[in-house]
Amino acid sequence: MSRLARPAPTLLVLLLAGACSVVSAPAPERSDTRTPARKVLNNGVRVVVQEFGESEVVSLHLWVRVGGRDEKPSELGLAHYLEHMLFKGTPLRAPGFVDREIEGLGGRINAGTSLDYTYYHVVLPGSRAVAGIEMFADIAVNSTLAESLLDLEKRVVLEEMRLGEDNPRRYLFRQLYQMLFDGHPYGRPVIGTEELVRGLTRETLVSFYRRHYVPESFVLVVVGPVKTAEVLAAAERTFGRLPRSGFQRLPATTPQDLPPKKLSVERPGTQAYLGMGWHGPKLDHADTPVVDLLVAVLGQSRSGRLTQALRERARLVTSVSAGYSALEAAGAVVVSAQLDPGKLERAEAEVLNEIRRVREREVTEGELRRAVTAAEARHAFSSETAEGRAWAFGRAEAVWRLEDELAYINRLRSVRPEQIRVAARRYLDLERYTRLALVPKPR
Amino acid sequence: MRRWVTLGAAGLAALLLATPAWAETPPVARHVLPNGMTVLVRENPVAPVVAVSLQVRAGSRFETAETAGVTNLLLRSMIRGSARRSAVQLAEAAEEIGGSVDASGEVETAEIRGEALARHWEMLLGLIAEVALEPALAAEAIEQERRLVLSQIQTRGETPFPLSFDTVIRDLYGGHPYGWHSLGLKASVERLSREALLAHYREAFQPERMVLAVSGQVPGERVAKTAERLFSRLVRSAGAPAPAAAGPAPAGGRRVVARPAQQAQILIGYLGPGLADPTYPALRVLGAVLGGGMSGRLFVEIRDKRGLAYSIGVLTPYRTGPAFFLTYLGTARQNVAAAEAAVLEELERIRTTPVGAEELARAKAYLLGNLAMDRRTNARRAWYLAFFEAVGAGWGFPDRYARAVEAVTVAEVAATAQRYLRRPTIVLLEPQAR
Repeated sequence: MSRLARPAPTLLVLLLAGACSVVSAPAPERSDTRTPARKVLNNGVRVVVQEFGESEVVSLHLWVRVGGRDEKPSELGLAHYLEHMLFKGTPLRAPGFVDREIEGLGGRINAGTSLDYTYYHVVLPGSRAVAGIEMFADIAVNSTLAESLLDLEKRVVLEEMRLGEDNPRRYLFRQLYQMLFDGHPYGRPVIGTEELVRGLTRETLVSFYRRHYVPESFVLVVVGPVKTAEVLAAAERTFGRLPRSGFQRLPATTPQDLPPKKLSVERPGTQAYLGMGWHGPKLDHADTPVVDLLVAVLGQSRSGRLTQALRERARLVTSVSAGYSALEAAGAVVVSAQLDPGKLERAEAEVLNEIRRVREREVTEGELRRAVTAAEARHAFSSETAEGRAWAFGRAEAVWRLEDELAYINRLRSVRPEQIRVAARRYLDLERYTRLALVPKPR
Repeated sequence: MRRWVTLGAAGLAALLLATPAWAETPPVARHVLPNGMTVLVRENPVAPVVAVSLQVRAGSRFETAETAGVTNLLLRSMIRGSARRSAVQLAEAAEEIGGSVDASGEVETAEIRGEALARHWEMLLGLIAEVALEPALAAEAIEQERRLVLSQIQTRGETPFPLSFDTVIRDLYGGHPYGWHSLGLKASVERLSREALLAHYREAFQPERMVLAVSGQVPGERVAKTAERLFSRLVRSAGAPAPAAAGPAPAGGRRVVARPAQQAQILIGYLGPGLADPTYPALRVLGAVLGGGMSGRLFVEIRDKRGLAYSIGVLTPYRTGPAFFLTYLGTARQNVAAAEAAVLEELERIRTTPVGAEELARAKAYLLGNLAMDRRTNARRAWYLAFFEAVGAGWGFPDRYARAVEAVTVAEVAATAQRYLRRPTIVLLEPQAR
């Protein structure tokens, strides 16, 4: 791998929450056993701290419990737009603070917006943890959202939109979500629409900001060479002083039943893309670990059933995989493949064939063991860096519960092959599913 | 405020170099086996995982237009089965230990890499050795892989950014092997025979050209002994690597490629020095002044102040020969003229006006921060160790390079800009209506 210098950081729209799996909980053995400290401040701000002395950098995450699903139809794209604007300064921090306080010190900052949440993350030299907390507390509630910068940033977001259009996989997933969650907030584009972005005013942005960027929505995570007591004191001194807003986030509604739909869309190029989607369990559901393992057996490794059947044996596709996104109010199981357009029908039939197999016969003990081991390994690898740990804690605290996250691997270990078969029958219907094909446009 | 900025940046740069945690610690143990193969081991207690990178001094830079892609096709075919295991058995064996084994041919090296839960390090090393020393290279496996590689080449040719990137690289390097992607060319990959792959295997996998790097929660001494046991059957040979092609001399120019797309891509490239050249650190600092993060000139001037792009930056790779220096951005069709002029203006400004001391300090801090942060996971640590050792720079190169970056002066940045940023090679991907 000859590594290019990394492209400039981008403020990225996450189309999918937890893109392939919810697995990221600590393994019990030989792993880091230091349970993170958790404290809820009086005004509702949640703080999670883990002392990670081996790391020379500190990772700070600010998770905000607001995402695409919290927008009114006229507000589409606001959560993401706001995320861009939080880098533009406060009365205390003139534009350019990223240079002075972060990149000029060798640090990094970035952010992402998804359907259920928005998060900001900073990596700084370990000694700068308190300064980082102060910076987060400032931009979280004091961002200027200057009119003059607003219009410029619209152009940037429109470019981001075009970039997404030119990437066939991103396009496939976005359109498939639209079909899967038609009429539900999860079916709308997080980035918004061109028309809404162009017409956005400072007034609507400020009102959205005031409503959602409140103590009750904030999760602060700090992982690095820090002292828990010092971090908590800094959090009290900054985030702790914000007045409670009384805001209560509306719970996400359950999507309607999935009507089977098939759609083909023409795209430039000569290759086709296939996406097939089902509703899966929502994040906080007893079946979540079972579906995680079901998807892993189907298509998350080279030995996975879909890759073996469709790519290696039948040679119908050049790549295929399965993924499961567990969101707060729903889940999505998606099989996607790249292939020659002439093989679309056979590939779809073969995917269904493999689904039939997991519905009818139990997966082997070996398949299950490898899937659980893969989850354990993913956790171990994510614990290599401070930001890997902080991300898992932050997401859990924002959309789930930290203790469930910490116990998740053990839940995976208790899953039996019979449960996987039952889950396949429950969620992966052979007729009720959504299919999207991107096919080459005739020249 | 201003003074604080300067002190802050300088302060961190000092931290980067003086604090052991940022440097190559815990220490690296280097062993040379009797057959000439190098083994590097670093014990890293941070997480219960291990990563291995086996790199061979072979890659697309040693290929010709006829053999382009032979290294990658060979490496990809090697993980499709050994004398003992089929492709799926290899994959399953890696998954049993919480890991994966993968391989590819890159520009300067060919790599077999793997990772696993640390307690299985011995099994992982065994798998890597099996893939490297006992590849089956069955005709059917090669055909399967050829089909996938050709599809990857086709996808690159249909996706706006990779297409633009490959085009500008080809224009910059002309017929030099740096001018094609390590996947190879369609025409050559279609024709490569099994015999050619076998011959390439024998030529490339010679112990003197191989470096095995291991990083993770492992017992270093035992890892080294195990590596020696596994790889000692490789016989020392006298073969020297094929000489790399002579240096390219780009003439500059501007090419317009019309494609159906939403966004235009504008890439402007130059050739700079290789990584061993004394001016290489200055070129990278120059790149960071222009394209380093959200504070780089391109981001500030073209994205923040003018809203002309979303993705924008500078790319410079580690190359032993002339490395490219490439600015990139994506923009709407109607903004092409303004965006291209704005980038060229920044390139001209940095050639003619000295960089300020604060800006220089920031750029260095950014670059050193990047380097430090990229070397934290075991997979990346293993890659860095094996890569720089395999290309002849030595595994300690990144730390030497960091010190050299720290020492770069305003005058050196100016001289580097004047020397290398001449006669731009421009590729514009122009969106057509769909």
